[in-house]
Amino acid sequence: MSDSKPPKVLLVDDEEMVITSIRAFLSLETEYEILAHTKPEDALRRLEEGPVDVIVTDYLMPRMNGLHLLAEAKKRQPEAARVLLTGHADKQSAIEAINAVGLYQYLEKPWDNAQLLLVINGAIERTRLLRGLAQKVDELDAAHGQLKEAQRRLIRAFL
Amino acid sequence: MAEQPPVLSADGVPGADPEIRQLRDKLAEAYRLVALGQLVTGVVHEINNPIGSIVSNNEVSLRALSSLKQKLDSARENGEPPPQKAIDLVETLLSLAAVDKIACERISAVVRSLKTFSRVEERDLRTARVCELLRDAGKLVDCQYRRRIELQIEIEEMIEIECYPQLLSQVFLNLLVNAGQAIENEGRITIRAASVSGSAPAEVEISIEDTGKGIAAEHRSRIFEAGFTTKPVGVGTGLGLALSRKLIEETHHGRIWFTSEEGRGTTFHVRLPVRQPRPSQL
Repeated sequence: MSDSKPPKVLLVDDEEMVITSIRAFLSLETEYEILAHTKPEDALRRLEEGPVDVIVTDYLMPRMNGLHLLAEAKKRQPEAARVLLTGHADKQSAIEAINAVGLYQYLEKPWDNAQLLLVINGAIERTRLLRGLAQKVDELDAAHGQLKEAQRRLIRAFL
Repeated sequence: MAEQPPVLSADGVPGADPEIRQLRDKLAEAYRLVALGQLVTGVVHEINNPIGSIVSNNEVSLRALSSLKQKLDSARENGEPPPQKAIDLVETLLSLAAVDKIACERISAVVRSLKTFSRVEERDLRTARVCELLRDAGKLVDCQYRRRIELQIEIEEMIEIECYPQLLSQVFLNLLVNAGQAIENEGRITIRAASVSGSAPAEVEISIEDTGKGIAAEHRSRIFEAGFTTKPVGVGTGLGLALSRKLIEETHHGRIWFTSEEGRGTTFHVRLPVRQPRPSQL
């Protein structure tokens, strides 16, 4: 991973126990920075404060479901990978909405830690590649602009 | 010596023709299973999270304990105090153990409430606490609707009545599921139970109020009819309220009625005698 800062994982679940368990697991296994919220509205506000690499959210939550949250997250940080962690009962609706929110992956509860880590690692890799690519495109654009400017100056100097 | 209560069939009515009684039993049993089935998705969801946590915590605890042992062994060999990392691991383990306790309690509570409804054999008249029957039914319905419906419980703790607990629970569950289905988006269900002051013989009143869509005026006279439903196929059986009325009026010698306002909600009231009359008093 090219970025030197530790990756940021935004975890959203209305159940404190799920957050505690996943946070403990990721803290033990990785150096990732874990940002956790039990209210989707708070998670959206967190997205305004700075980039995260991956958002892992529950589906069934009061006031705002996980897909709604991910659709909003996509508007705020399109390159941050989106992962849905769903109970079996909501699987169908999750599959139907994968395209709508550009889901990176969905996982079923009860989750498997090894699989969760694999998905989160893949998601971070993808986000960092996307951001790296965007940065390269910006650099190319800037270099192209400078070349154009130099060319203009050269032409002016000779005319 | 106290007189024995009459023998009941599954729908709580003293039976007549054995063949009709058998059919009625089957129908009541099928309805009970349908009512439970409607709550399965909620129960699955309610149990999924604690199970996920317990499985994950167990895995993390095993790794954390082995890492902790390594750190403590190495500190002891070098004659050093336990490193900060070891203390952090103990903190993590403590928080995981606390989560496991809550998770196990959650699973136990759901299983306990399910047991109330799956006890087929319990058909004896006995004294039961109304608050426990209502809480068990409320717990199951809460699993299903918690994320969009707030459940309020205002019950006098100590009310005890003589009843057929499993049959009465079935009525409460039915009224609560109806209330949940009547609320299309977000709303509130309030369960109340209190002694009726000055009633002789003593009575209690239970009410289940929802902030749902209400019952249309043209349907009000028919909602207790068997086979009448306004719900789509697969959601309503048209038996719930018909059976509930039988269980309240014929089995428990009580009354059931409702008040409803379209767009505002519905309240079902159930009034029950504290002691069931013996056959000679009927």
